[in-house]
Amino acid sequence: MSTDARFLIVDDFSTMRRIVRNLLKEIGFSNAEEAEDGQIALNMLKATKFDFVVSDINMPNMNGFELLKNMRADDSLKGIPVLMVTAEAKKEDIVAAAQGGASGYIVKPFTKATLEEKVQKIMQKATA
Amino acid sequence: MTPAQEETMDLALITKPTRSRRKKRAGAAPVHIGGGNDGVAIIGDTNGTAYLFGASEDARMPAEEVYNRIGNLTRVLHDALRELGYDKDLAATREHLPDARDRLAYIARVTGAAAEKVLNAVDHARSVQGELVQQAASLCSRWQAVRTYTAGQAVQDRATPAGRKLVDETCEFFAGLDGQADRTQAILTDIMMAQDFHDLTGQVIRKVVALAQSMEEQLLRLLIQTTPPDQRRRVADEGLAGPVVSAKEREDVVTDQAQVDDLLASLGF
Repeated sequence: MSTDARFLIVDDFSTMRRIVRNLLKEIGFSNAEEAEDGQIALNMLKATKFDFVVSDINMPNMNGFELLKNMRADDSLKGIPVLMVTAEAKKEDIVAAAQGGASGYIVKPFTKATLEEKVQKIMQKATA
Repeated sequence: MTPAQEETMDLALITKPTRSRRKKRAGAAPVHIGGGNDGVAIIGDTNGTAYLFGASEDARMPAEEVYNRIGNLTRVLHDALRELGYDKDLAATREHLPDARDRLAYIARVTGAAAEKVLNAVDHARSVQGELVQQAASLCSRWQAVRTYTAGQAVQDRATPAGRKLVDETCEFFAGLDGQADRTQAILTDIMMAQDFHDLTGQVIRKVVALAQSMEEQLLRLLIQTTPPDQRRRVADEGLAGPVVSAKEREDVVTDQAQVDDLLASLGF
């Protein structure tokens, strides 16, 4: 996956979307779109091609788990890596995300280095 | 004795042993009755008095009777609240909850706006920083040419040592600018990352607001049930102290400076 990879950032807080977008840009990925919740994200994913999803969990309408579930159940979306970036630090949530098919899980607050490491790792795995 | 008082007595016997009974029970271990190991939730003391400890499928008291008693207990609670004057406290608490909710929402909104402002400032600073680095790179190459020129034999007699030193230092300054820009970028990233507090605190505030809303609804229900029908009217809102946290649907507040100015103008200022 190259630096042209198209990212979808899903979070109900605009501040966090903006932070993730800026961080991705710093890391070298400037092609990113934003969605306020899982439902909007799912619609966007079905309408346009994305290479990577960075998603919060706790969101209105459709949360991150539901988005993940929907993506993994959809043949055209199930191959897209999903990195969960969330304040939910419960082990059961992390396990649920992993079992649900998440590619990675970051607990807020996080650092640029953590995001970079996870994104690179997931991308390497995806292209291997 | 009123029916409510009778019910209170009855429930007291069931849910809370009297002082004399409690005294009697002191030192006497509670014993299960009605089957031993079958999980029956009726406990008795050694003098044979039984009272309900919790619900169980096998409990001798039928479920319907338990529900009836809970209903009676609720009615007794309503009566007690009214008789003791706690209904007023309940009303006051219920009235304060929307205010508390609005204040929390206000905090979330204001901190969110502050975080956005900081992010805008960071973006702006990055842009300015980028322009500076670009201009410095352009000047750096030109000063390097001057350095090469002043170091050459042709101008040895015209370039003073102080002039050559100034050129060298200027070139070094420009060369080091990239590193300084990187450090500034890292600081700006830290400032940007610190704004994630809005997401974290915002989520907590949302939960508290939802909790307050739920409590408010429950209290309102209880209040309606405990208030005599002729007194079921809302006490007029006396307004909020401090910043206006919810100007929506309020005509007695201004929402921006333009409205302040208009108001002052209408007063002849």
